[in-house]
Amino acid sequence: MRSNSYTLGFTALVTIILGIMLSAAATSLKDRQLLNEELDIKKNILASLKIAGTSGSKASAQEVQQLFTDNIRSFVVDKDGNVVAGLSPDQIDPKTMVEVYPVYEKVLDGATSGFALPISGKGLWSSCYGYLALESDCNTVMGITFYKHGETPGLGGEIEKEWFTSNFSGKRIFDDNGGLVSIQVVKGVVNESSSDAYHQVDGISGATLTTKGLNVFIKQDLNNYLPFLKQAH
Amino acid sequence: MGLLSKKSQQVLKDPLMSNNPIAFQVLGICSALAVTVKMDTAIVMTLAVIFVLAMSNTIISAMRNYIPGRVRIIVMLSVIASLVILTDQVLRAYAYDMSKQLSVFVGLIITNCIVLGRAEAFALQNTPGKAFWDGVGNALGYGIILIAVSFFREILGSGTLLGLQIIPQAFYNAGYENMGLMVLSPGAFIILGLIIWVQRLITKVEEEA
Repeated sequence: MRSNSYTLGFTALVTIILGIMLSAAATSLKDRQLLNEELDIKKNILASLKIAGTSGSKASAQEVQQLFTDNIRSFVVDKDGNVVAGLSPDQIDPKTMVEVYPVYEKVLDGATSGFALPISGKGLWSSCYGYLALESDCNTVMGITFYKHGETPGLGGEIEKEWFTSNFSGKRIFDDNGGLVSIQVVKGVVNESSSDAYHQVDGISGATLTTKGLNVFIKQDLNNYLPFLKQAH
Repeated sequence: MGLLSKKSQQVLKDPLMSNNPIAFQVLGICSALAVTVKMDTAIVMTLAVIFVLAMSNTIISAMRNYIPGRVRIIVMLSVIASLVILTDQVLRAYAYDMSKQLSVFVGLIITNCIVLGRAEAFALQNTPGKAFWDGVGNALGYGIILIAVSFFREILGSGTLLGLQIIPQAFYNAGYENMGLMVLSPGAFIILGLIIWVQRLITKVEEEA
């Protein structure tokens, strides 16, 4: 049996060596990782707005950047729905700037054909991040994507899968009187004969709590954009 | 294989068939179910496990005379965990989409019983050279099963192989449908069970009743 001080010394040494190795790797790879994340976010914005050539295909970094600059006009709105001049979404510092909301507008042949809005909030285990895209009527959902979450793969993690997100397309966020109802993920299958079917999508079995989270934060986020959506409409 | 001694060849080849970590020892089943829906994820997972297992075996074997017995599990786990985190970081930097698809399962290599099992059962008693080949062999044995399972699951479940369409459109027009079961975990269990059955028929291993 080795002495206690040897054991302590040995474990300390191993910890220090491994620690240095890991921090060196993390620091040297950080730039590339951030670049990848940024690119992935852009891909998701494009995919939510159904801009061809991005969904599922392995578009290169330049292609994604090109598609983004060609098709997207980004700006920031305040809580009254007015565009904040001279501020781009990249410049928003979430720590100091509140009540400013980024908007990614899809411009097709000079005309607006949709808006992608960032959505985020608690699922079951983690914060989920994604984009909800609306048609130019600011009512019909064009698409939705999730690019970052820590939900259980195969259960809550299914929110990022196409079979789930494709159900959102064509749903409406406002009722006939112009009240915001957002989109609800229901438990089980949507009853198509119900009058609420326009605002509902099929649930994921085993992911009820994750989708409950989605219901809450999608509505909250849409509420923040409400003045802007009313204006743009 | 003139490069390797007889012993090392044995160490490398055994886990591929007769002592396969998944089929014979039934270890590492969790990730074998999770990452085998598509073949490309299975291949990347195999490469990641080869790297982690070969490196952890070598490093732990090199330290085996210095590791205090009382804390050996903790020391082995920190080595394994560091290697896994390293792999995860590299994947995130150079194969972002792949790392997203593999999600937590790269991180879960840490808990893959094969890795700690080989460290404890082999690396602690053998020289680094042999431990390296044992790691490569066991990771390959794991990978072969993974790739075999994913081969059937992708063809039957999605009609594709490495993302390329294999089942011709004419089949679908004639009423053929992809087998949804294969995309889900039970499909992996069934395939895995069949593979283990065939493997045991060949190696003539019988469980005691």
